This record gives sequence, structure tokens and C-alpha cells, in this order.
Amino acid sequence: MSNKAVEEGVPYSLHCFINEGEESIKTAPSTRLLTILRDELKLTGTKRSCDIGRCGACMVLIDGKAVNSCLAMAYQCSGKHITSIEGVALQGIDYIQQAFLEEGGFQCGYCTPGMIVSVKALLDDNSEPTDDEIAEALSGNICRCTGYGGIWRAVKQAVERKRQLLAMEQKEELI
Amino acid sequence: MGMNVQETLASPLVWHPQTPQEAWQLKQTYGTESIYISGGTLLRTFWESGMAAMPQHFIDLSTIRGLRELRIGEAGFLIGSQATLQSCRTNMLLQRHFPMITEAIRTIAAPSIRQLATIGGNVACYIGDSIVALLGYDAEVIWFDGIAEQRSLLMNWLQTGQGAKHDDKRLLLQMVLPFEEMEQETISSDEADKLSSQMKRFGAYHKVGRREGFTPSVATICINGRLTGSGVIQHIRIAVGGGQTVPSRLDKLEKEITGAIVDNQLLQHAYERVLQLYEPREDLFASAEYRKSTAANLIAAELWKAVRDDT
Repeated sequence: MSNKAVEEGVPYSLHCFINEGEESIKTAPSTRLLTILRDELKLTGTKRSCDIGRCGACMVLIDGKAVNSCLAMAYQCSGKHITSIEGVALQGIDYIQQAFLEEGGFQCGYCTPGMIVSVKALLDDNSEPTDDEIAEALSGNICRCTGYGGIWRAVKQAVERKRQLLAMEQKEELI
Repeated sequence: MGMNVQETLASPLVWHPQTPQEAWQLKQTYGTESIYISGGTLLRTFWESGMAAMPQHFIDLSTIRGLRELRIGEAGFLIGSQATLQSCRTNMLLQRHFPMITEAIRTIAAPSIRQLATIGGNVACYIGDSIVALLGYDAEVIWFDGIAEQRSLLMNWLQTGQGAKHDDKRLLLQMVLPFEEMEQETISSDEADKLSSQMKRFGAYHKVGRREGFTPSVATICINGRLTGSGVIQHIRIAVGGGQTVPSRLDKLEKEITGAIVDNQLLQHAYERVLQLYEPREDLFASAEYRKSTAANLIAAELWKAVRDDT
């Protein structure tokens, strides 16, 4: 039946791709993606905090876009490609993570995975963001202990690193 | 009595209608046990806070064909109700022709929420911040009533829908933003060209809250108008909202000041009339009087800036 996801009485099964792996998870259609990641898949890098989309600690990429996993429901993730902070580091430490380490872009570290995911979404979409664009992209990520100075430096370094990476790629293409 | 495992895993049932007719029919079938849903970001906050119970049936509107489009049509710029707020925010045509809409959307939550939330949801909740900007552009709405598509001014739709938080009988399909045209009915084309070259457009959108973001606004205003070369208001739209207040146009004030020159007397009049005409809802954080005076100050200041910049 085309207009119905779940036949009455039949448990729902979410099919999607998480950190490049195909997953099939029995859950309620309204289960939050955050719960699936942390409780079902034990991907605890994604943090639980406000539960209402305010703080950004639970940020993940859904089809490359930053989304609060506390707001996204299982049925909305059907067929989607989801990247959590663990997925960002699949090929080893990511240049954005490195920038956060080098610039002291964290203190207690609870907000850091969400911050890194938001920066990744920004730089994947726009490699030369203005200060206003950086501020807007990170406006959904709250840090309660750094005062944002270190985070700002980390993002700026990540932008510079992205620029270098793109230049290297272009050079390799020419060769 | 708790649900068994099978019921828990299947509930709520999510329906994916392909057409407005199918969605509307499902709503009639399941009534208060169902809810139209798309991004679900506002609904999620209701459920988390206990303000509402999660219904047994979700009618997912995101699968209805064509409702995510943003495009120029014969009637104006068309915004599908299922367009995400972020797709509206980043749409170049919308930015160019209706910049106060994209500015209003910039002030709604963060990009990560705007990737899920839709403009239709923001409008259909009756208090969304995009509504104030849409009113400033004379927006119309197209909705489906189970039989046919209906079209009306957004300001009228809001008035008739006030208090109907879960509007079962109407399904919002699109918003229409008319492209502004010179009011040339009574003047020759030469005069119109001359007037057009002398005319100055002005507009502003403001959302004033207790914090920069993630807070219901104390007052949200949009003002959109044109001045003649001699500082006479030739056309104006003034919309107000904020907090739990259903936004509205101050159409009486608009009529009173159209054709008048902007001077100190007009500014004083506009300020006082906003206090009289605007009826905001108060809450624990801001009284109605405070909201009125905030809106009145913003509107008077924008009128003053329009004429000051003109001289």
C-alpha cells in the first residue's frame, strides 16, 4: 500500500545507513534518532542534553546536513545516510577534530562532538565561510564553559586547513 | 495498562499520503487521534514538555508531491508548505525579491532545526515568526478544504483560524507572494515612469527577544512601504506579532497614514495608534503593555529612518 509506512500491527523496521554501514533496526517510528544511536548502536559520541533542539550536543549529519538527532524521528531517517561523530573519524582523526585539539576548542568536551559535526556540515557545503556564516552555522551549538574563544580559533584553523586540502587536491588533479 | 512489544514498535502508525486529498481523507478518518506532521520540530517540544500527548496516527505531509517547491508562478512567488525553512533561507530568488522573509527565517532557531522544520509548520502554528514577514508582503495562502483548493489573504486566514490550533478542515498547501506593482490605475505611463524613478522603497523586519536566539520574541514587526520623492507615504504594510500572539496587520493605521507626509506629528500618531490597535498576549516574561510599547517604538523608529534616509 503506497500511502502507509507500517501495516497495522506490524512492528516498524528502520532501514538506513549509519557511518557507511547499512542498518536495519526494529523500533517505533517515533523513536528519536538520538536514542537509536546511543542506546541501540552504542554510538555514545553523540551526546544527549537538552532533548529539544536547543543545545546541539546531539548533532549528526543526515544526508550531509547538520540535524539535531533529538528531534529527528526514526521514520524520518528511512533510507537516509547518517553520520555521527564516530563516522567523522572513520578514516582517522579528522582535520576539524585536529583543529579543536590544537586550538583548545573544548573544556569539559561535552559539546565538542556536536560542534565538530556542525563545522563539518558547514565546510562540506561552503569552504570559504564568512564570519557571519560561521556564526549562523554554529548558532545551534551551545558551550557552557569555553566562552567560545577557543572554538572560534578552532573553526578558523579548520577553514584554513580546508583551503589547503582543496589546494592540494587541485594540484594533484593537475599532475 | 502498558503496550505490548508489538504495539510499542508499531505505534504511532505513520501514513504517507501522496496527494492533499489522501492526507485530508486520513485526517477525517482518524480525527483527534491523528496529526498532520512534516518536520515535527515544534510537535516534538510539545510531547517532550508534556503539553500534548503523541497521537496514534501521523499523517506525514512530506511525501505529497510538489509541496516542497519554491518557484515563480503566474500569481507571484510560490512557496510550498513543505519547503524546509533552510531551503527558504538559502533560496536566491526569495533572498532577492523578498529579503525580509529570509531575514525572518534567519531568526528562527538554528540551521540544524531549519533543515527539518517547514515554513508550512511555522505558518500553521499561527504564531510563527515567518508570518509577520509574510504579512508585510501581502502574502496569500492556498489551502485544501477537502473539495477544492481555496485561496485567501494570509491576514484573513489567520483571523478566521485563530484558536484553531489543530485545524482539521483545512490543509495548508502553499503561500503566494505577489510581486509588487506600481499603482498606476489613475495615472499615465509617463507619470508612472516619473513616479517610479522618484519612489523610494523601505522595509524592515525586527524580532526583539530577551536573548539573541531560541526565545519567543517580545515583539516582532515588519514594515514595508514606498515613499514619494517628497516624503509622502504612497503604500505601506505594517505587521506585528511575537510570543503567543497571532500576528496581524495594523490595517487601520496603514490607511490613516497612506498619503500623509512623514513628520513628527505622523510619527507620534503612529506610535499612539500602535498602542491602541495592537492587542498582544502577555505571559510570565512580558506584559501586554511592554509588548505594545516595544512594537510601537520599532514601528515609529522605522518610519523615522525611512524619511531620514530620504533626505
